[in-house]
Amino acid sequence: MYQPTSMFSFSSSFLRNALAGVVAISLSACEVLEFSPNDSRAPADQQNLTAKNLARLSAAPLPPGDTLRFVFTGDSQRFYDDVEDMVASVNQQPGVQFMLVAGDISDFGLGREMRWVDDDLRRLKVPYLTVVGNHDHVANGREAYQKIFGPLNYSFVYGDTKFVLIDTNSREYNFNGRVPDVPWLRGQLASLDGARRSVVLSHVPPQDGDFDPTLRADYAGTLRDTPSLVFEMNGHRHDYSVGQPFNDGVTYVNSYAFEKRRYLIVTVFGDKQFRLKQVSF
Amino acid sequence: MAPTLLLAALLAAPATPATPLIPNSPVGSDSVTVSVAVPPVLGLAKSARRPPIGYRPRHLLLQTGGGVGMVSVGGGLSFARRRLDLDALLGYVPARHAGTTLTIASAKVKYAPWQLPLGGSGLALTPLAVGVYGSYTFGLRNTGEEGQYPDDYYWWSRTIRVGPVLGSSLSYALPDASSGRARRLTAYYELATNDLYGLSYFLNRRALSLSDIATLALGLKLEI
Repeated sequence: MYQPTSMFSFSSSFLRNALAGVVAISLSACEVLEFSPNDSRAPADQQNLTAKNLARLSAAPLPPGDTLRFVFTGDSQRFYDDVEDMVASVNQQPGVQFMLVAGDISDFGLGREMRWVDDDLRRLKVPYLTVVGNHDHVANGREAYQKIFGPLNYSFVYGDTKFVLIDTNSREYNFNGRVPDVPWLRGQLASLDGARRSVVLSHVPPQDGDFDPTLRADYAGTLRDTPSLVFEMNGHRHDYSVGQPFNDGVTYVNSYAFEKRRYLIVTVFGDKQFRLKQVSF
Repeated sequence: MAPTLLLAALLAAPATPATPLIPNSPVGSDSVTVSVAVPPVLGLAKSARRPPIGYRPRHLLLQTGGGVGMVSVGGGLSFARRRLDLDALLGYVPARHAGTTLTIASAKVKYAPWQLPLGGSGLALTPLAVGVYGSYTFGLRNTGEEGQYPDDYYWWSRTIRVGPVLGSSLSYALPDASSGRARRLTAYYELATNDLYGLSYFLNRRALSLSDIATLALGLKLEI
């Protein structure tokens, strides 16, 4: 009796392993069986990442009055080695609640590039949130971004702060006069959903040539007329800057690109006070 | 690393001596190299009864994946005693997988130095084929309209992709064609990548692996 039992258990575990192997191979084969580099297919765990990261964030809520602290970066593009190193560095920062990526997740607007970046950023101890960049709109990148990350315009409240993330990549729509969606922005800033301050994040800064010049005054005016606004945050220029380009009291902060091997730790406290700390990695 | 290897293989492959691994390969059964040198019009004018066979596809192709279509159909010619294939495919990707409906025209040249008959089963294994492909994608949403971007705003082509191909195949002998030419049905796979994935890999050897940039194609080739 001993021998057959042993045989049976051997073959059943062998079968189980073989079956698991076949399943793993066909799953990865599904991904690698690419219809086009411009296709937007992605495995289920790399779809709707914005919603998934927001769910993670809301699972660790910030009590009202507590200091807000997040990492600010942008333009990961084709700098995958740098993404790895940044994740290692951010994971050593105490007291950071999440990370914001100011667009240009991909370089060529390909879904696989966005998934490569997520392969690393999902190893962060904190959730990360993105806004769409102009490179993410190239070819059929918009569809890939929407499938893998989510909406192009969205907002969320964390602690006392409402974050409004908006697509300002006007050139990718050939300056059709509808991007950025200023009425949507105005609506989002008119009601803070219980928060007491606001932050706007977009890829292309309004003073840039890639921002629709016919919407610039309206957009900047909307920010100027929002007393709760701490600052507007942008990427696109690949380098850090902080200033008031329109001399209207509104502060604009630009992120380092991943290739600069630096990022910012942003601390917001009080009404609208903030501190920017630069970290090299 | 591997693109280098692929390139090396590609450069080395044509120099590989054409070892007579197929014992029963009548030379006359594959005269496409000769016929192809004759322009079709000339061929038609000279002998209306003999069709210009060199310009007819020698094989038909049905493929999925490889970055050139969810479904691709095409045909091709064989040269050098069926070691060199020149293929053209037209691929289709439905809008639900890409946002817009894509049509992808691709061309590929593949060289397979060895063909190993497997006993008397009618099966033959081609252990290695190396080649290059190029594709043009129609139907992409945002490739730039007139005046949309300053010159060289995006330096790469959104529509044209090129890349190396590496694969194997298994053939099954079919009854000869009426012309007397040997026919086979071949199942093949190809691992490929493209210029943009290749560049990403070259710049990020640490974060990206070859499996990250690989695409897989599965296909059938029917000689006619």
